[in-house]
Amino acid sequence: MHTSYTPDQPTARPGTWKDWRWYFGNFLFVVPFLTLFIVFTLAPIFYSIYMSLFDWEILARSPRFIGLGNYADLLNDSLWWLSLRNTIYFAFLTAAGNAIFALAVALSVNQPIRGRDYFRVLFYAPVVLSVAVMGIILGWILNTQFGVLNYLLMWTGMPAVPWLSSPRLVIPMLSVATIWWTFGFPMLIYLAGLQNIPETYYEAARIDGANAVQLLRYITLPLLRPIIMFVAITQLISHFKIFGQPYIMTEGGPGRASFMVIMYLYQTGWRFYRMGYGSAIAIGLALVILFFTLLQLRFFGAGADEAN
Amino acid sequence: MSATLPAQPVRSDAPRSPIRRRRSRASAWLYAFLAPLAVVIGFPFYWMLALSITPPNEIYRWPLRFFPATPTLDNYVQLFTRQDLQIGRWFINSVVIATSETVLTLLVCSLAAYGFARLEFPGRDQIFYSLLFALMVPTQVTLIPTFLLIRMFGWLDSYQGVVLPGVAGVFGVFLLRQFFLSLPRELEEAAVIDGASRLRIYWRIALPLIRAGLVALVIFVFLGSWNNLFWPLIVLNRLEMRTLTVGLTVLRGAYGADQMGLVMAGAAFASIPVLVFYAVFQRQILQSITLTGLKA
Repeated sequence: MHTSYTPDQPTARPGTWKDWRWYFGNFLFVVPFLTLFIVFTLAPIFYSIYMSLFDWEILARSPRFIGLGNYADLLNDSLWWLSLRNTIYFAFLTAAGNAIFALAVALSVNQPIRGRDYFRVLFYAPVVLSVAVMGIILGWILNTQFGVLNYLLMWTGMPAVPWLSSPRLVIPMLSVATIWWTFGFPMLIYLAGLQNIPETYYEAARIDGANAVQLLRYITLPLLRPIIMFVAITQLISHFKIFGQPYIMTEGGPGRASFMVIMYLYQTGWRFYRMGYGSAIAIGLALVILFFTLLQLRFFGAGADEAN
Repeated sequence: MSATLPAQPVRSDAPRSPIRRRRSRASAWLYAFLAPLAVVIGFPFYWMLALSITPPNEIYRWPLRFFPATPTLDNYVQLFTRQDLQIGRWFINSVVIATSETVLTLLVCSLAAYGFARLEFPGRDQIFYSLLFALMVPTQVTLIPTFLLIRMFGWLDSYQGVVLPGVAGVFGVFLLRQFFLSLPRELEEAAVIDGASRLRIYWRIALPLIRAGLVALVIFVFLGSWNNLFWPLIVLNRLEMRTLTVGLTVLRGAYGADQMGLVMAGAAFASIPVLVFYAVFQRQILQSITLTGLKA
């Protein structure tokens, strides 16, 4: 039927009054979202930049404009640099660990073996726990005095290790705990990618006499490369936001060995009520994350080209 | 098709083909990797449950026992009767907050996604693509201004103060729009000819067809809300307004030193509902997340 119209085509000729009423009715669909989005996301983003230019302490005195003073302070703030260094260290360790470990697991449970669905279900299960539950359980398993891990070590004759109370080990152990908790999600992304590789590629290679290692090296990994890149960078971005694990398991300690940027933001904003300086910390972290997001867009664009 | 093929000779005593044998050796290696891994992944769940029924005098001693000598439900009794813990109330708070956030997000995001995917109005695509830029700005930037806004509204220690700021997520709109775009237009066109309104087409035809996308979003939003720590920590301060996740940090802070069994009982109580939900719907959950991973 030539005159049939799809939902987004107006009934009347364009430019008429009826036409605008139709458009308005369409626009109403996005109004609830846009209202909430503007109030709770868009406006706060700009207001945050504005606030970062003030010495702004709620419950104390009225805000005082200080220009880029907060940022100048930030550059000289050793606590900021310490927390940023810890956060970057943690994020890289966890992203790399997750990207590699989840890949190994995904490759294993992608094989046609009995019980693989049970393995998948079990491996995704930690993802549904809250960070509080995860922190409580793994924090206790890693406890120096009464933890299971040290119990097993001593049973084999080795000395107890202060997993979470040694400045050198604390961030790697938080990273291991986080990988236990989160690797199920990248595992599913890898599985989705693996299912997209046509079985005929493998059959052709097998006929040519390729063994399992060669299949992995010359077919699976090259075809999966864009997804590995994607997982690594999205993991990196999401683990920059670490807060709950050290908040629950170490309180940033020992000393400040696991003190992270978001903990610093929490302390500045909600312990000392310095909202202007807190905004500057948030924007500082956002700029670091933005840098890696842009990196992702570049890599992801390049990855999409390669896949074709 | 199998009827046209001659039946394969079946010989049970035939030696297994070299390919089969190689395959079973490979799967032995896989089990050697997967079985210990399953123990490592699964043990913490067991340990939480075991410690939650262990009396304190057995927890703080050496050597460890992997099952309590005198199992007890005393930790759970204390969990529900101690005056400084309001775990029942925290549970209700978490249910109310996570459910309302899920329902509102689904409604608001699917309406907007349908609008951006199917309904025309001036500036539609420009608005949508500028939303994608907002995806790049980390949410941490909005924490302080949104907190001050909630405070100004007088919404500290209220459900709406926790729920509303999280409802308009760009990710949800982006995801559901992809699903709407993949629907064949003919279905909706037929409904238009039958005289159905836009709202009716959205609600009765389009929405039921993107079930997989909705399921994935429900899981992400519900779990995200149930497990959220930072936002409820700063918005909800009164003891009876805490969520389970925030309440657990209080519980651990107060009893982590000498009553780990009680803390584990709290952790078990908080995670059993989501674990049961996960166990019941695991097939659908894993499928729709895998599908979503491809779309997003």
